[in-house]
Amino acid sequence: MRWPAMSAARSLLLALLWLPLAVQAAPAFDAPPERSTDGGFTLSWEAAGAVALEQAAGPDHGDARIIYEGHDTSTVVSGLPDGEYRFRLRASDADDWSDTATVRVEHHSLARAFGFFVLGGVVFLVLIVAILRGRPRG
Amino acid sequence: MNGLDAPILPSSIAWGLLIAFSILWVALGWWLGRHNKTAEDHMLAGRNVGMALATATAMATWVTANTTMTAPQLALQLGVWGMLGYSLGALGLILFAPLARRIRELMPRGFTSGDFIRLRFGTFTWRVFLVVSLIYAFGWLVSMAMAGGVLINALAGIDYRVGMTVILTVCVIYTLLGGLRAVIGTDFIQTIIIIAGAAFIAWLTIDKVGFEAIHFNLMEERPELLSLLFPAAIMFLFNNLLFGVGEIFHSNVWWSRAFAFGRNVGFRAYLLGGLLWLPIPIVAGFIALATPALGINVPAADMVGPLVAAEVLGLTGAIVVFIVVFAALASSLDSLLAATSDLVTRDIYRGHIRPQASEQSQFRATKVIVVLLGLLTWLAASYRGSLPIIGSLAELLYFTGAFVASAIWPIVAGLYWQRANPQGAAWSMILGSGVGLASYFLIGFYVAALVGAAVSLAVMVLSTWLAPRPFDWDRLARDDVQPKGSPA
Repeated sequence: MRWPAMSAARSLLLALLWLPLAVQAAPAFDAPPERSTDGGFTLSWEAAGAVALEQAAGPDHGDARIIYEGHDTSTVVSGLPDGEYRFRLRASDADDWSDTATVRVEHHSLARAFGFFVLGGVVFLVLIVAILRGRPRG
Repeated sequence: MNGLDAPILPSSIAWGLLIAFSILWVALGWWLGRHNKTAEDHMLAGRNVGMALATATAMATWVTANTTMTAPQLALQLGVWGMLGYSLGALGLILFAPLARRIRELMPRGFTSGDFIRLRFGTFTWRVFLVVSLIYAFGWLVSMAMAGGVLINALAGIDYRVGMTVILTVCVIYTLLGGLRAVIGTDFIQTIIIIAGAAFIAWLTIDKVGFEAIHFNLMEERPELLSLLFPAAIMFLFNNLLFGVGEIFHSNVWWSRAFAFGRNVGFRAYLLGGLLWLPIPIVAGFIALATPALGINVPAADMVGPLVAAEVLGLTGAIVVFIVVFAALASSLDSLLAATSDLVTRDIYRGHIRPQASEQSQFRATKVIVVLLGLLTWLAASYRGSLPIIGSLAELLYFTGAFVASAIWPIVAGLYWQRANPQGAAWSMILGSGVGLASYFLIGFYVAALVGAAVSLAVMVLSTWLAPRPFDWDRLARDDVQPKGSPA
């Protein structure tokens, strides 16, 4: 009776010791953004080893493709058109995905963009005129 | 797919390059500055810098961490418009050409941009200007120290803090030894390295990857980067132009050169320097567009330039990139350390703390301030990625955009409008910075400078129109070396 009890205690101890490592071993996103207004963002993750990162534009992951595989712990995504993008992460040697993230890309409206463009153009033109015509008066 | 987990430059080679170039810059700094005897020698290189050195220092100082590292970052984030928009920063140098001539005419014995604001607009506006100017200078210093660390980390896998510390220390030492004379002398050599290196990298990238592959992969994976109707990039175009103009118009880096260049040199030097600078961001930024074609992972946006160059060009490319960016960083970091320490010495130490300070005590103070600036910069750059604003190079840099763009109009009105209102100049900076910062957080980093400049213009025009205050231009020449409270 003594030996099985010790064995159980040892198993429990080992399980407790390994638990944090097991949790750490499953890659997980680190505060992924929810929204982007310029089609770009940085995805970062916590992982003990190499990971595979998948990107998909549809909810069923039909058009999914692996966008990174390796030991880095972040990636810069950019140049995406409007839409909802789904990302999945897993350890390179694992079969199951361990975490997911969804980022909604909604660009500024063109009306707003051209509003700022015109404002900038006006400030620039005034600057040119001020320098070219700028002579001390009086 | 490659990324940071597979650095292309062996750390032994990286350390070898780092040590060799560190010795070169420090030795040059000592040799060029060995005859400096007074604060004026140290700060303004005897006020007689010729055309070749003047053009080289204007161009090399403007080729910074921002150009070689942020231009690729903006190409990666904002596409073709980001890259072209960045090159519009050349207009800052080009438009400063007539200002440089006017500054030299109005203040033949001037020392700093702060001197001008104090004499032209009075104490309150001067203090507001110093706050704006020092926030910008510090942001720029930190961004360049960060760039040094990022570069070494991306290429050789050497710890970010170690690389950042080494580059910053080298620049502090040779600026300390040589003053502006050393800064300008090393800038000349660094210009040659930058132009030759950038041309070599661009040629090899096009030769090895090809336009067709770059275009195809961008269309597949990051199509907005090629779109001419990319909203954030459209908003960014004039923002970057006005940011560049604001940086140059107000910063003592450029004013100290306007005072240091020989008579009739400033206009031509700034014009030519701007034209030479124009293609550099396009060349540096273009390579980032090859990222999808090469299948490179970019862990942080500001690492993209060195990562792509190293991937495309292999070991030789990595060595060239390392040398070019180290030269670009050093040429700007030293200029900014020198010009900012001058501003702090003249406008804070002598202007506010010890008005009776002798030439020798100012000379000593300048050196102490260079070291203190270096230490503060190191401290802030150590927190890259840990604090919201010190997130990436572009974010930090464009955070300062609201401040500098709001200083454009006080400078232009101060130099050219005889009736410019002094209180209006102060409030144009305060309100321009405030609203510009709000837009940075509410809309994005790509509009802060634009909004700051627009608000500042409105305040300056309105205040001058409603309450004009005539000014006697001759006061600038009469009083230009006498800070408030100092003996006549």
